[in-house]
Amino acid sequence: MSIFNAINASTSGLTAGRLRMDVVSSNIANAQNTRATTNENGEYEPYRRKLVVTAPQDNSFQSFLHKAQNANSNPSGVEVTNIIEDETPFKLEYNPEHPDANEAGFIELPNVDPLKEMVDLMSATRSYEANITSLNASKSMLMKALEIGK
Amino acid sequence: MDLFGGTIRTLEGSLDFASAKNQAVSSNISNIDTPNYKAKDVAFKDVLNNASQTIEANRTDEKHIPFDQEVQSSYQVITKGNTSYNHNGNNVDLDKEMAELAKNQIYYNALIDRINGKFGSLQSVVRGGN
Repeated sequence: MSIFNAINASTSGLTAGRLRMDVVSSNIANAQNTRATTNENGEYEPYRRKLVVTAPQDNSFQSFLHKAQNANSNPSGVEVTNIIEDETPFKLEYNPEHPDANEAGFIELPNVDPLKEMVDLMSATRSYEANITSLNASKSMLMKALEIGK
Repeated sequence: MDLFGGTIRTLEGSLDFASAKNQAVSSNISNIDTPNYKAKDVAFKDVLNNASQTIEANRTDEKHIPFDQEVQSSYQVITKGNTSYNHNGNNVDLDKEMAELAKNQIYYNALIDRINGKFGSLQSVVRGGN
């Protein structure tokens, strides 16, 4: 067991929190983007909302071996396993003047809901702050341990 | 004669426990949004009881896994799998984890103070009261 395991766990939480905030920013920035990708017919497709998938870090072979040898292997941090796309349908809006409108005069807009993004952003901010608190706690404990024998 | 007695060894075990607990709490907080993550906790193990149950065995090769591994630690990591506070199967209670963090920090500092006090008394004995 490394003495910095707790700090590493908090850091992984900070990294994941920051990535979630980046993804939310990207979603909000592209909320009106009708030409993000092209499909197999060569036509433009709107931006799809992105989501971050996280998993505990103790899913590796090494940690399972540790658990098999010794019940006291401690859990550690979080890791981002994937960034997936939200498969909900695009929003349709009647706007015949728009260059990307179809024959009926509708354009497809990204499936980004600014409300959902703001809720995600708040949740990411809060968990970021919680990780900072636990990082500071671990740090002050280690500094206190250095005082042994002084 | 054992100069340091049992006190320092007990404090040492308690410090091990406190830092393991800090690690578990940190891991719980970092996984607060992970789906299906179950909170971990650290519990004191009955060290004396455990020591008497050690398997008496010889290793024929030093590469073999030792038999007395578990006795060395004074704590046990447990997973709380029977609750769910969130629709995604996660059961980390942030308020509880923050309280545990604060409690554990105070406990750790108290142990460090105690271990320093013990060393201070030994120092005073070594110096003959001066």
